[in-house]
Amino acid sequence: MGKLAIACYPGLVGNMSFDFAMKLADAAADKGHQVSIWFSGNATGSVKAHQKHLKDYSTGEKHLQALLAKGVEICTCEACTVARGIQKPEGIEGIQWNAMHWYLAKVHAADRALLIGGE
Amino acid sequence: MKLGVFVSDFNLTVDTLDRLTAEKLGIILVQNGVYHATTKVNGKASSLLDKTQNLYVLSDDVQIRGLKAEDVDKRVKVVNYSDIVDLMFNDYDKTAWL
Amino acid sequence: MGDVKVAMIVQKPQYKGETSRLAITHAISYQTVEILLEDGDTVTPKLCFIGEGVLGLQKGQNAMELYGITSTESHMKNTLLVDLDVLVCKEDLDKYGIPEDAMPNADEMGADKTIQVVPFAEIQKAMEESNHVMFF
Repeated sequence: MGKLAIACYPGLVGNMSFDFAMKLADAAADKGHQVSIWFSGNATGSVKAHQKHLKDYSTGEKHLQALLAKGVEICTCEACTVARGIQKPEGIEGIQWNAMHWYLAKVHAADRALLIGGE
Repeated sequence: MKLGVFVSDFNLTVDTLDRLTAEKLGIILVQNGVYHATTKVNGKASSLLDKTQNLYVLSDDVQIRGLKAEDVDKRVKVVNYSDIVDLMFNDYDKTAWL
Repeated sequence: MGDVKVAMIVQKPQYKGETSRLAITHAISYQTVEILLEDGDTVTPKLCFIGEGVLGLQKGQNAMELYGITSTESHMKNTLLVDLDVLVCKEDLDKYGIPEDAMPNADEMGADKTIQVVPFAEIQKAMEESNHVMFF
């Protein structure tokens, strides 16, 4: 099995490319691949805990928790996240916070890398 | 290089795909990109379908738009997320998202 | 594992969206990635601008004064100061009527590198020679 490094920039609500990234990660994890996800830009808004799932809106929290439970590594860009007013204690448990070099480090180890750019 | 390109828009605002060359080029249609496989404009199929023989469309994104497999151009293979993972690891060594 | 080459291709213009700016800052972060890698392992990005991605590179920007944010020009100077290879597509500069001397440089700050204006074929080659490609 291989290593997949996904970077996701699009926001949680308002761009279903985020949803695509989650489902792709899920499918890869189910096939036994080692998956890491890096959030930068507007995607970092998805790491705030206590999201209310309304049926009209994409939801991130439960999918992220399910991915974490499958061993997917998820990290948010600390600078992008705090710039959006989200502090570490408010984040979903299990999600790492780091700088951009975290993603480059994952890319270094990865067999495949996919960067999903933002709006 | 063997390059798998994810196309996520119908009206592409970048001409990157016209300029890229690859030993093997795959186009994976997702999100609004599925319309390239299902929708003709003024009776003409998308010119994107002429760029390579390796064309794929994500079934979830076709269905969510009320379209069916029968609406998909015969040149395009309908795939699921698991298939896409296999394409990324087995068929293409680099992937790009447009 | 050694060195992993990454071609980062910016195809969208700057300022309305942040993706292009994030490409630059992600590329610059190659400077510190070694702290997370085994000894001797490195990541070498090539930062390439094509299509509309060349539009917002021109010098003379005052983003800080107008919007309170670091300008693309300033970020580009930092790329040169950290010895990144930066390639800008010549055909696209010509297409949009942007002269090569409109590209910023960091000579006065002691940078050894300058922005390289190259044919698209060079950028294609950078993609082929890299381990991974990323489109911004």
